[in-house]
Amino acid sequence: MSHQLPAILFLLPLFAAIAMPVVCLKHREWSRPISLGVLAAMVVASLLNVISIIKFGEVRYAFSGWTAPLGIEWVADGFASVVMVMVSVLGLLGIVFAGPTSPKGLHGRIVHYYVLILLLISALTGIVFAGDLFNLFVFLEVAAIASYALVGMAGGRALFASFRYLVLGTLGASFYLLGVSYFYAVSGTLNMADIAEKVPQLLSSKAFLGGILFMFIGLGIKMAMVPFHVWMPEAYTYAPESVSPILASLVTKVVLVGWVRIIYWVLGVNVIVHEIPILFLVGLLGMLGAVIGAVLALVQRNIKTMFAYGGISHIGIILIGVSQGNQTGFVGGVFYLLNDAVMQATLFFLAGVAICQYGIRTVEELGGIGKQAPWFTSALIVVALGMIGLPPTGGFFGKWYIILGALEANNYVAVTAVLLSTLLTLGYFVRIFESIFRQTPISAGINQSEIPFSLKLSIGVTSAAVLLLGLLSDPIVQLLLTKSIPPGL
Amino acid sequence: MGDLFLSVFQRPNFLTFVIIFLWGFYIMITRYNLVKKLVGLYLVQTSVIFFLVSISAKKGATVPILLSTTDPVQVANYTNPLPHVLTLTAIVVGVATLGVALALCSAIYRHYGSLDEEEILKRLE
Repeated sequence: MSHQLPAILFLLPLFAAIAMPVVCLKHREWSRPISLGVLAAMVVASLLNVISIIKFGEVRYAFSGWTAPLGIEWVADGFASVVMVMVSVLGLLGIVFAGPTSPKGLHGRIVHYYVLILLLISALTGIVFAGDLFNLFVFLEVAAIASYALVGMAGGRALFASFRYLVLGTLGASFYLLGVSYFYAVSGTLNMADIAEKVPQLLSSKAFLGGILFMFIGLGIKMAMVPFHVWMPEAYTYAPESVSPILASLVTKVVLVGWVRIIYWVLGVNVIVHEIPILFLVGLLGMLGAVIGAVLALVQRNIKTMFAYGGISHIGIILIGVSQGNQTGFVGGVFYLLNDAVMQATLFFLAGVAICQYGIRTVEELGGIGKQAPWFTSALIVVALGMIGLPPTGGFFGKWYIILGALEANNYVAVTAVLLSTLLTLGYFVRIFESIFRQTPISAGINQSEIPFSLKLSIGVTSAAVLLLGLLSDPIVQLLLTKSIPPGL
Repeated sequence: MGDLFLSVFQRPNFLTFVIIFLWGFYIMITRYNLVKKLVGLYLVQTSVIFFLVSISAKKGATVPILLSTTDPVQVANYTNPLPHVLTLTAIVVGVATLGVALALCSAIYRHYGSLDEEEILKRLE
């Protein structure tokens, strides 16, 4: 039974998404409980999956019984399973949060919203587990199409942001597909494990190098890595309030997981450390991203745009972590990825509450909210501690291991970039809190409507998780160290 | 340089791929009309699909159905079906993306009354 879990995790949301338009044709209000049930079942299944991986080792799932090089294979190892827990938990919390806000950002298109979210989650599951380069491409595109539609659902300004996202995202997918066809042309296979065996003979091939580069460009566009990040702030700012937390916390990070899977599991540790300087390139763009994203966040007025740029800078920090080529940096990067997903979700939940309940969109308007909504401010303080990286939170331990890894690799520029990005992060949170705690509230017309329970629940759980990931950092890092390390690192 | 030049012309399929790809890319960058941008985007996608098909071409080969079950299989006699299957999937993905993109275009037109990027940007300010 337990070896079927990856397929179950994928098929649950997929079938629910397909069945929903029919089931909810007459009863639109059913769509929410169905989605909540499916996501809750996914959380249970992903936890069971982690337990079974710890107990019995990794699962290689061959679809329809066609084994590896011929058929499509999914790999549920420690790395994928841990990320899968993140996807299902944050997906569930995103849907919990969405309930009361959906009428506001979505013009009553409730069923559309839940169908697209479930499709997105199932595609993300596919990206996490995919053991086949072309399969990864298909799921990237399914996830991307669902995201374009979700962003565009807000109408107005979001339509144009979504169009730009679509143009750049499809261009990225084309680059990725080009890279895959180069790989196929030189190696004659698409299975990741199969290519990994053939890599040593392919190193002299220019087409192979070109394929790596094209894949990197394609996935770089999708993960909002710095020179290719232009679509992301706009899309996440104008996306509906119930959509942006899920997009911001999951989509870019899961694409990053796909890229880590390709460089560490397909190319192999030996090749990327000694033969091809791809880690140097990843690290360089990561450093650029960590600093430039934070600088751009510092000058924004709109809170959602600010948080989106914060997300770009954190993608850079994760890339710095995974590009050090040693265990400490890799584990730090993966642990920071989990933390960053939780923190981005919390930030966009808070931004959604600010917009829907108080009508606040800019940093200046936050003045006076401290007295009106103490829980809002305290959640923001907790997540700010995590984003800056202060000790009780998970963000601290993630950055700690990343810096340790960079020191181990004698990469002092990376250490400087992480510290600089931390300082700049402190800078933009100081701007927010300066505005919140200003004595004279400038936004007089704050609407004091009761905050729905589901909003408080999702924000409470994620901000508790920011602290909890810090307190539990030791067992989680140990789990990552023993189960999620790529072979040979 | 001359060798490079000649070697390029020995692979007309690669040359065609590069020309279509850059053509599409050029259209995407230089045209302001959103639908024209989509045409460029679709050319880029098609060029990648063309590349995938062209690398699987084989002279004198037939469809990958065994001609006889008793003779040993001669690989050179059959084309490789996998790139064509990948191509079909990629076309389907491209069509789905194009559908979403055209839906967005029509919604943009209804909302802004124009498909010209500069005009829309002017109205956004």
